[in-house]
Amino acid sequence: MTPDEIAAHLTEATGAAERSDVAHGEVSVWVPNDKWVEVATHLRDCGRCHFDLPTFLTAVDLEEQGFEVVLHMYSVRRQHHVNVKTQLARDEPRLPTLSGVWNGLNWCERETWELFGIDFTGHPNQVKLLLPVEFEGFPLRKDFLLMTREAKEWPGLKEPAEVEH
Amino acid sequence: MGLTDKVNFPQPAKFILNWGRKYSLWVMNFGLACCAIELIAASTSRHDFIRLGVIPVAHGPRQADMLVVAGTLTDKMAPALKRVYEQIPEPKYVISFGSCSNCGGPFWDSYSVTKGVDQIVPVDVYVPGCPPRPEALLEGILLLQDRIGKESLKEHYQRREAEEPEPAFTSTVPIVVGGGSISDTSIRDE
Repeated sequence: MTPDEIAAHLTEATGAAERSDVAHGEVSVWVPNDKWVEVATHLRDCGRCHFDLPTFLTAVDLEEQGFEVVLHMYSVRRQHHVNVKTQLARDEPRLPTLSGVWNGLNWCERETWELFGIDFTGHPNQVKLLLPVEFEGFPLRKDFLLMTREAKEWPGLKEPAEVEH
Repeated sequence: MGLTDKVNFPQPAKFILNWGRKYSLWVMNFGLACCAIELIAASTSRHDFIRLGVIPVAHGPRQADMLVVAGTLTDKMAPALKRVYEQIPEPKYVISFGSCSNCGGPFWDSYSVTKGVDQIVPVDVYVPGCPPRPEALLEGILLLQDRIGKESLKEHYQRREAEEPEPAFTSTVPIVVGGGSISDTSIRDE
């Protein structure tokens, strides 16, 4: 299916797509939190979609707009992509786990929990994967303080976008 | 350890003892990142640190004389480095290879990287670079061998017993390949 056809199909079949956007030849579909597992199960089981490879799951910190959880999907048989996204509130972000739909997302969700502090309810083993167990805080959140940078600004050249004119 | 930690040998005996030690350094390769590739390159035919008596890939830390920390040490990996270091029998020496293991390097502001392995183990020679060329490691090895040649083993053991977390050569400052010194406060305070 083409990106537009995937978006139309998801709207029609699940009734869950809030909006969609095509960029770089891939479609992103935003779904509400409570349809998250339902949409993922549909992507796996529907013969037209046949998404059989969950490439990645991560989150984006949108600051005051909360968090956006992103699921990258690929179909090896049909050779098409979809990015499923959902937005979460900033206070106590919580989402049902997809590790029951795809086992492979288990570690992706652990990592997202550990680095962004997003709680995946029903996750079988939500313990730290990459960081030391004593680590406090969620380092990929934008409000996480890097103490070294607090003490000293980046001493080298800045990115063009960061330079104040 | 027998006599070596009790007796100050006369100069000819010390020379021969140290000469034997400095040209038979078994390396424990603690390769953590891209610097490990340069370390391996230094051991292969073009640079060939075996001609200096440095024997790559000890069978394990218990058979090693020297630890080369090459690469980015994270806080999660740090206990493993400490354990490997403690398993190496005395006399042992540590070379910190590359900017990451010297001071955190490009990960200077990271939440997970240990900024300097000298927080974990005592370092004898610092090799700067990102990554350093194999020649830089060769110079580091030569500087280390030079110091081993002049060392008194009795004083070495006495220092170790007195203050464990110290470089082997506390009477002199740790070496930085290419000049300079981390103990030079005028450099550090700038």
